[in-house]
Parts: sequence; structure tokens; C-alpha cells
Amino acid sequence: MGKIVAFHSYKGGTGKTLMSVNLATIYASRGKKVCLFDLDFRAPSLQAAFKTDDTEYWLNDYLNGVCDVKKVLIDLSQRSERKGELLVGLANPSTEAIREMSAKDRKWEMKALGRLLSLKDSLLNEMEFDYLIWDTSPGLQYSSINAIVSADVALVVTTIDASDMEGTQRMTHELYDLFEKKTGILMNKVPAEIISSETGKRKMRKQFETVHGLPILEIVPCFCDVLRASGTYIFTEEKPEHPFTKIVGKIASKIERF
Amino acid sequence: MSAYRSLGKNPTQILQKIKESLDRLNEKMEVMIEIQKHSQKENQSIPDVLDVMTLLSLPDHLRKTAVTISRLEQATAEEVAEQTKRARAVESGYLNQLVMMGYLEKERRGRKAYFYIEK
Repeated sequence: MGKIVAFHSYKGGTGKTLMSVNLATIYASRGKKVCLFDLDFRAPSLQAAFKTDDTEYWLNDYLNGVCDVKKVLIDLSQRSERKGELLVGLANPSTEAIREMSAKDRKWEMKALGRLLSLKDSLLNEMEFDYLIWDTSPGLQYSSINAIVSADVALVVTTIDASDMEGTQRMTHELYDLFEKKTGILMNKVPAEIISSETGKRKMRKQFETVHGLPILEIVPCFCDVLRASGTYIFTEEKPEHPFTKIVGKIASKIERF
Repeated sequence: MSAYRSLGKNPTQILQKIKESLDRLNEKMEVMIEIQKHSQKENQSIPDVLDVMTLLSLPDHLRKTAVTISRLEQATAEEVAEQTKRARAVESGYLNQLVMMGYLEKERRGRKAYFYIEK
């Protein structure tokens, strides 16, 4: 059976969307059947990343109980030469939809969790997806915690920023323990000179594993090329030989064995 | 004792019957303990909506059952046990605790009891 992988972080801008988009694409290029979900209803971003403009139903509609999840999924498999399949479920980026989603009560969030959990049956079991990837909103709020609880693997993306590190540490110790999930840390945007040597990298890994009490899945250096791409194209697809692409490939393989 | 007498003199049967009675008693006691704990909590005004924050506040063994019901929408103790890989009697106990705590509803249909989150 397939896996649900959730990308989460304490602060915004750590690279959840970059990681989830590229990981989904890499799995699809390896012949997997993948679906990427934008569960950041406060700041939807996948529509811009995939440049889709003919969306009829959004994930908002599925969670509202308006439609079946199949109506939400957009098949992007034909867009490029991938061995597998890539589908996306988008969050509605209109201001009205964001406002509506932020005003939901606890009862609605409870039903939304049920609907996310039932995707294990409808998408992983019945439609035989290999991976469902959740791109969540940062911090501790209903939508992100619902997403983590419904996932099989949670990956926390963090930077070396002091406030991010401290918040992540608190979050992993106080909250993630309760989730009983397979959880890993992805250190992102780490200045290259800190990890230029294998010893430096090992030292950093050990230090952060002690801080978080969780395995560090990978330390990703800060790449100006990735920043320069400014999210206008799918990096790993455009630049298959780039070191960043190789690292995401390594992460993909590690999650498979996780 | 009359119930045991009617079983004749087969000690295994009698022991089995006693074990079943004890299991039932244990189940009831666990429910009572949870009710007691819950009534203390109620004073701190925790509403009985089974959302993710409530799930996180539940003890581990109940959380597993509650998440399974969230996923299945409605289910019998047997169906929950199939998912959690725990014994049906155990799940039945946990489900009844969640009912007593006000998080789940229970409905009998024929010989089966269905549990679901309040609609």
C-alpha cells in the first residue's frame, strides 16, 4: 500500500512547497503514481507552481463535502515525459475562499480530518496511488495538524534560523511525540560552507539530531540556482543533473525506505 | 452461581465463564474510570467535539480507536479491531468509553452495534 507524506514546518518560507513539488515530480519520473495536495488554505501556492487555470473543483470543496475527491484531482501526467502519473489537488487561492476557510469551527475541522483520513481508502487502496504528498501550512493550526495526523510520514522542513530552530524544537518535542508518526527533519537552505566537508556535515547532523530527537533525513545546502528559478519552473525536471536534483532524489529514496 | 451449576462439572467451561464475566467487569470498570476522569475534565469546560486537538488530548489507546472511527465514519467494534489489529473486546471497551465521554454515538441495528461521530 502507498504512503501519505506530509511536509510541515514551524515557520513559513522554509521550503515545504519547493520540496513537495520536486519530490512529487521525482516520484512520477520514477514511474510512481503520485498526487500532490495543497493543504495550505491560508496561502495556497500550487496553482501558481503548476500554472493551472481551469480548476472547476478545489480541495476546499472536497473538505466541505461538496464533491468527490476525484473531481478535484487535476491530471498533469500528459504535460511532460514522465514514466509515472502526477496529479494535483489545489487549494482555492481566492481571497473569499481563504477568508471562508479561516472561519471554520471545530466541528468542521473534525469532519475535515475524517475526509483526509478516508483518502487512504479512496486514493491509496482503491485508486492505487503510490504516494500522496501533503503540502501543509506552517505552524500549529488546525489544517496542518489535521494533515499530519492523517499522514504516514511527517517531514519537518527547517532552516538554521534561530527562531525557526527553537520553534521547531518545541514543536517536535511537545507535539510530534503525540502523533506517533515516522518523522524526519529536513534541514534546508544551509549555507554551503558549513557543510562543505564531510566532517562538517556529520557534525551538524549529530548536533541537530540531538536537538530535535529525530533523524535528520537530509541537509540541503542553499542553492542560488534554486532561488534564481524563483519557482517559475519545476527545478528537478528542468535541471536533472543539478546537485539539488540529486539531493531530492536521495530524499525520495530515503522516504521509500522510511 | 446457578449459571455455573448449569454448566455441569466441566472445570474448563466454568473457568471460561468466569474469565468472560471478569472481562465484562473490567470493561465496565474502565468505562467508569474514564467517566470519572472525564467529569473532572468537564469542569475545565472541554467541549465534546472529536477534533484533532481533542484527539491529541486523549490517552494513546483511545486515540488509536478514535482516529480509526474518524477514518471509517461509522463502524462496529469488529471493523475497528480489524484496522487496529487489537482484540474486538478491547475495541468494544474503548468505543464504549468514547461514547460515555460524549465523543461518539452508538446505535444498535439488529444484533450489531455501530459507532459513529455525532453528525
